[in-house]
Amino acid sequence: MASNYNYPEDFLAWFIKGENLAIITTKGSTDGSTHSKLGDWKAIDESVTDGILIHYESEPSSISISASGDYSSTYPDVDNALHASLIDYVKYRLYQDKAGLSPDGNIASIAMAMAQSHEGKWNESVRRYGMKKRDKTGGPRRVMPADLR
Amino acid sequence: MPNRLTVKQIISRIKQVFPNVPESYMVALINEALVEMGKYSNTKIEYAKANSVADQMWYTLDDANSSISVNKVYRVDFMNADGDYIKIPRLLDSEIQKMDLV
Repeated sequence: MASNYNYPEDFLAWFIKGENLAIITTKGSTDGSTHSKLGDWKAIDESVTDGILIHYESEPSSISISASGDYSSTYPDVDNALHASLIDYVKYRLYQDKAGLSPDGNIASIAMAMAQSHEGKWNESVRRYGMKKRDKTGGPRRVMPADLR
Repeated sequence: MPNRLTVKQIISRIKQVFPNVPESYMVALINEALVEMGKYSNTKIEYAKANSVADQMWYTLDDANSSISVNKVYRVDFMNADGDYIKIPRLLDSEIQKMDLV
């Protein structure tokens, strides 16, 4: 069923509470009962198939553990600019494990230093410069003035 | 052809330093890293459509109960009478007077 909203932006709004998306409307009757009248926020009043389009940041798909151990055609579900960073993350965690398990204080401190080195590279590539590395925006820009109609 | 690393190549590089660590543990750590990467914007942008239901305020985004894995919603559109999707505003003050149970 198609929507009856000609200008949904004039009536509808959304917000998030926890794990839930709320779709609300100000549409209502002019002589309606209390809090159901035009202008009051309430639940959306229409059933529309595929009426809501959500744009979101998603979690990359996880890699299934293969019983045969064949990962030769499996790629991480992120931009290839970030693939090498995964090596740094795994090494950082493995060096941490090594530092925690080693009975030798010297080995533990060297392992901890290596863990910090790889953690630094991971943080730099993903947190600090991650946006720049995978951002595909380029070229000249044009400023669009706000529409004040 | 983009220069991509397979999981096998990633594991083999780690094995240069940690030859005795089981591959399944390395894959678990790679998955942990992927979850961590997902926290930072622009890692994976997707969209999904959902049916609106009359008089239903809430729509679940729970990863366990839906087919999609949502970290952050940054835009919502609603279909207009012509069948086009039009951006609707996000309400900053979500403490509205009439609220349904989640």
